[in-house]
Amino acid sequence: MSWANILADLLGATVLFAVPLLLVALGGMFSERSGVINIALEGIMVVGALCSCLTLIGLDKSGFGKAHPQLGMLIAILVAAASGAVFSLMLAFASINLRADQTIGGTALNMLAPAFAIVLTWAVQGQGQTTILIPTWTRITQDNFGIERADTFFQNLVFKSFYLTTVVAIVLFIAAYVLLYKTRFGLRLRSCGEHPQAADSVGINVFRMRYAGVIISGILGGIGGLAFTVAAGSGFQSSVAGYGFLALAVMIFGNWKPLSILGASLFFALFKVIGSYSDSIPFLPSFKSVKASEYIYLMLPYIVTMIVLILTSKKSRAPKAEGIPYDKGMR
Amino acid sequence: MKKVLSLVLALCMILSLCACKSSEKTSSDGYEIALVTDVGNIDDKSFNQGAWEGVEKYAKDNKKTYSYYRPSEDSTEARVETIKQAIDKGAKVVVCPGYLFEDAIYTVQDQFSNVQFLLLDGEPHDADYANYKTASNTHNILYKEEQAGYLAGYAAVKEGYRKLGFLGGMAVPAVIRYGYGFVQGANAAAEELGVTGDVSMKYWYCGGFAPTDDIKTKMSGWYTDGTEVIFSCGGGIYLSCTAAAEAAGKKVIGVDVDQSAESATIITSAMKELANSVVLALTDLYKNNGTWPADLAGKTAVLGAVEGCVGLPTATWSMKNFTVDEYKALFEKVKNGIITISNASDAAPAVTISVDYQN
Repeated sequence: MSWANILADLLGATVLFAVPLLLVALGGMFSERSGVINIALEGIMVVGALCSCLTLIGLDKSGFGKAHPQLGMLIAILVAAASGAVFSLMLAFASINLRADQTIGGTALNMLAPAFAIVLTWAVQGQGQTTILIPTWTRITQDNFGIERADTFFQNLVFKSFYLTTVVAIVLFIAAYVLLYKTRFGLRLRSCGEHPQAADSVGINVFRMRYAGVIISGILGGIGGLAFTVAAGSGFQSSVAGYGFLALAVMIFGNWKPLSILGASLFFALFKVIGSYSDSIPFLPSFKSVKASEYIYLMLPYIVTMIVLILTSKKSRAPKAEGIPYDKGMR
Repeated sequence: MKKVLSLVLALCMILSLCACKSSEKTSSDGYEIALVTDVGNIDDKSFNQGAWEGVEKYAKDNKKTYSYYRPSEDSTEARVETIKQAIDKGAKVVVCPGYLFEDAIYTVQDQFSNVQFLLLDGEPHDADYANYKTASNTHNILYKEEQAGYLAGYAAVKEGYRKLGFLGGMAVPAVIRYGYGFVQGANAAAEELGVTGDVSMKYWYCGGFAPTDDIKTKMSGWYTDGTEVIFSCGGGIYLSCTAAAEAAGKKVIGVDVDQSAESATIITSAMKELANSVVLALTDLYKNNGTWPADLAGKTAVLGAVEGCVGLPTATWSMKNFTVDEYKALFEKVKNGIITISNASDAAPAVTISVDYQN
């Protein structure tokens, strides 16, 4: 082993786990910026992961996936986006049209999603077969580019855990930034989250804007679900291990701003990964005298987040009108 | 908008109907043979699945009704509740895979004296381990996991691997016996080859039987750190291990059942013949008119190499330097007691290779 290999691993794994956090937190940002609290991110991730994983095994069985691996992966990503969007419509309908409590609506969807996932998985795979295995062709390897395998820093960094979702996440991140800050739509969306009455008074359709916000969060959340499942690498088991909630924390940590969210998700992922690598990194203290010392590193991301939040919370500012159903009669 | 919603709801209903169709057929008598899973599920490709396959095979061959039940949570109360539920639904035999059922069986074996219990990997005792009691309607099966682990560890070092890893699930007796057996086997082979200085092992219990991203990341770290092969010992965690191995181009040793079909990275598996022993026990049970015969009732069977219940899969052999013939010779020595393997699970075996215990 060499230093470079460990470092390459560490950085590669950080990016791998930052991708789902980034996507889902961006999704949450769009929803909340439009004025709808999206607790249902976890559920959206589960549904996105479920539908895309089923698509993947379908493509695998038909032989299409092996022949065109990355095209197959792209289809899966589109399916994840579409299914996440459809699922998020339920939240949009409940919280925008029916003016239901957004937190409760979101929680209900979070409970629905895993149950629905198990039912559908069993229906497809047979009773008791809870794990949907992800085909191995989904990973992008040196062979895709015709590069000779070598033990170099670059190859270890890039090709060990490289999936199409990473590329898509980078594209979507740039798109999200431009959409939110550089377009008329973005300005209108943000205004609906700050002061919907004022937005309405200048002719912006608040309902439509909020629908757009929630659907975008569904799209990003669904893709995030797939990104998490490929990152975890162990198949889909009707759960995304709380990453939806983690993404909510990342979004708040990132102050509802795309660039800060990018930083926050990388930061979170890095500290999460360091815990797992702690015994391979020589300069980190190993706390051998403490019983169950491994948990010290597992606690790290949360402790550091708390400290950072304490230091920055004065500047933190949520969209003003989030969580409040829009009522035209209210001023 | 409402249309979309109703469409989604309609879809949910249709799909849940499909789910019903694929489930097992009900009969008026309920299910005679019941399996209650521990924390895993029957598709864990290891412990629960092995037991379930045994139940399924026996029941199908003998036209018995059968079903499985999964406790709602990981607690003795939930397990007792689920066993009662199984009995309510007509179970005459309840198969319980896992030491986790020890307390639960201790409670229910006296309450339902007309129901037969088969406990794998444990012996009934009360919650604080003060009283052990196996009633006459209970039969326990234990395995000599240390023999399976020994064979795998010996094979790995003979095959030419020098940096090994052991990834255990929860630190329960069966998993510990596998692990310590693996250490002893690797040590024995290293001493034979005179390479004790080169062979090293990382040893870690992840604390669960489900795959997580944390396990995968940690195993990636081991592989990058030079580990060549990891013995993944416990339920579904092999998924995390093979995912890391695939990315790193390294190897994995499977557990409980022959897992070589699950991933190309799995070079061999330390097996215990769960399915086979369940079938044998159920056969004896039904030969004796549905109650345990005298030699099994209230007794514990410890199955190992002598009974042919542990070993490595020779049909799917993929190792090159360590051949099937060499394995068979080794297996005979274990079987005849020429090689003795400690089955202690309270203290790590004394070995000359370096083992890095990370828990």
